[in-house]
Amino acid sequence: MAAGELEGSKPLNGLLNALAQDTFHGHPGITEELLRSQLYPEVPPEEFRPFLAKMRGILKGGGGVGAKDVAGQKVNIWAENQSIASADMDFNQLEAFLTAQTKKQGGITSDQAAVISKFWKSHKTKIRESLMNQSRWNSGLRGLSWRVDGKSQSRHSAQIHTPVAIIELELGKYGQKSEFLCLEFDEVKVNQILKTLSEVEESISTLISQPN
Amino acid sequence: MKAPLPHPPLAQRMQIRDCWALIRHLFEARNTLVDFQWKLGMAVSSDTCRSLKYPYVAVMLKVADHSGQVKTKCFEMTIPQFQNFYRQFKEIAAVIETV
Repeated sequence: MAAGELEGSKPLNGLLNALAQDTFHGHPGITEELLRSQLYPEVPPEEFRPFLAKMRGILKGGGGVGAKDVAGQKVNIWAENQSIASADMDFNQLEAFLTAQTKKQGGITSDQAAVISKFWKSHKTKIRESLMNQSRWNSGLRGLSWRVDGKSQSRHSAQIHTPVAIIELELGKYGQKSEFLCLEFDEVKVNQILKTLSEVEESISTLISQPN
Repeated sequence: MKAPLPHPPLAQRMQIRDCWALIRHLFEARNTLVDFQWKLGMAVSSDTCRSLKYPYVAVMLKVADHSGQVKTKCFEMTIPQFQNFYRQFKEIAAVIETV
């Protein structure tokens, strides 16, 4: 039985999940043979390999940069090196793309298109988040904890009963251990920061309200 | 200066002076914020994803440790992360006002 013919959706869904883990979520080490033996045991290896490559290409892509891939331009969904995740397709683009794939020679079946469509719809957000994390090369903010202390005596200042906020930021680069930064703020400083953050929020609102 | 007591029970060893030394140490191990700079960016595309299209807030903190030495720390937040960050600061402000 050819790989393209046996479509209960479970094996293909499993395959797409494994590809997503491997490619987007940073869990490499899922071998081709493991996938074949677990999901498509009746398919010979020489037939499984191109099938896997085809699915990987549709989901993730991996070709070179074509003229149509330049940032800022609407990506042409008929391009050969197009893929669902790379183009971050919305549902209309997805349907059109998958329909085109079913019409191609050596493309996919409409059952397979249905499985891929369902998979993308339910995993798109998670995959997108993974891609965002991977392309952030600065540290990200992983966590924030805080407490407020009432300070009643200090060698460094004459103030009595000065409350202080202690904030611990957990920062970390993609794939690396967290770094903890402990900061201390008095009330004046907290309010200064708050004012700055409201400026940031205003900027965000302006950005979101602008047409693309 | 008191002479050190020969192996007294723990309760006696934790004299008031020791408590304050401990508290001062914890106090001085923290950093104070000297400067907070920010920018709002938009990631458009990358080699792993042609169509990223996500806004982010990049922050650069200048922090001084107890010796006065200033270090720079940079990090980024997605918009939802920023909104959570802002919300927590508002909570801190509300609490610190009442203490």
